[in-house]
Amino acid sequence: MHETVLWVLGNGTVHAKTLIMTWVVMIVLLAFVFLGIRKMTNGTPGKLQNVLEWIIDFVRGLISDNMDYKKGSSLLTYLLSLIMFVLFANLIGLIPNIFAPLLSHVEFARINEMFGGAIFSARTTTLQSPTADVNTTFALSTITIILVLVYGLKYKGAHYFKHFLEPYPPFVILHVIDFIAKPLTLAFRLFGNIYAGEILIAVILMIPGIFAFGGIIPMPFWLIFCVFIGVIQSYVITILTVAYVGQAIEEEH
Amino acid sequence: MNPFVIGFSNTIASVAAAGPTTNSPLHFDYTYFVQLISFLILVWILARYAWKPLMKIMESRRQFIADNLAQAEQERKDAEKIRLEYQQEMLKARQEAQSIIEKATKNSEKRAEEILIEARKETEKIKQGALADIERERDRAIADVKAQVIDMSIAVAEKIIQHQLDMRGQEALIEQFIQEVGDRPC
Repeated sequence: MHETVLWVLGNGTVHAKTLIMTWVVMIVLLAFVFLGIRKMTNGTPGKLQNVLEWIIDFVRGLISDNMDYKKGSSLLTYLLSLIMFVLFANLIGLIPNIFAPLLSHVEFARINEMFGGAIFSARTTTLQSPTADVNTTFALSTITIILVLVYGLKYKGAHYFKHFLEPYPPFVILHVIDFIAKPLTLAFRLFGNIYAGEILIAVILMIPGIFAFGGIIPMPFWLIFCVFIGVIQSYVITILTVAYVGQAIEEEH
Repeated sequence: MNPFVIGFSNTIASVAAAGPTTNSPLHFDYTYFVQLISFLILVWILARYAWKPLMKIMESRRQFIADNLAQAEQERKDAEKIRLEYQQEMLKARQEAQSIIEKATKNSEKRAEEILIEARKETEKIKQGALADIERERDRAIADVKAQVIDMSIAVAEKIIQHQLDMRGQEALIEQFIQEVGDRPC
């Protein structure tokens, strides 16, 4: 992969392309959702409203499968936003960067460095997924582990910490590792899947010589597979969040 | 100076010159916090303006359908009740009609009987009247015959008196008259 352009913010830096793509994803997602609820009706729903309602029902099903729905219903809006955001973020990385020649002349905020370039260059051939940035996935998994803590404390109080010592106090080591591993695996799983997908797109385009055009043959298969991975990963991070929270608030057994 | 102002001026500065870059895919920096905050803002916007209204709509539709189902059930029950009522009423009406027909039949039979009896009486009366008339006619006829016999007797007597002179021929004459009278019906 090419080098990541950094914007300087205070005494630190931010990943410029990740932020821009995050904003793009948010705009697309908000447009999608608000188009869907624009003509909201409790009569016969429109197509887009139907899709949104199906997603709501789907996520509601995930929650009620993993915990008492009364306890988990407050998670619903967060999980809906999560699954939609991750899905859109995963898929946006597969869109070809058709603006590359145009943007190669924009020097503002170093956009030319991020998006510019020849249209066939592997460097800028597709847009970048926000989820192909380890910061984004860690931000998401941080929220998950905070939710686990908050829900555990909310429904079990201080009693929640007792399970760290079960069945015997020495097991606290395993429980702590488990507690740390949860957000780590969540973050790296999503990041790894999406980042690898984008790298492979670049690699396929870099197939040399007579096979350079050969990218045309493997590329569609890889893109289809990437779509599949993107959908699966958005589902996985959502259901794992539900499962972890469900574990934290489940009754003693 | 405010670190954000510094950051912003640095950002502006970085526009011109080639700024910092990184090659590490595992490079952590402020992006983490920015993503955290922007994602939470996205969650808030979606929850506040999209999911909650949408779920309210779905709930109201659910309620609407439940109400409709309950209403339909109620209407079905009402219809069933009305159907039963109609059935009973129809049964009653049929029975009534049956009884009316029976009554009418009975009445008509009775009436026919009455008419027959009356007719018979009338016939009897007419017959009696006719018999009486016949009797009267016969009596009158007999009386007439009697009167004729008397007249004839007188005529015979006159004829006898007229032919007294011819005494010889008297007997033959009487015989002739008696013969004449005997041939007549009385």
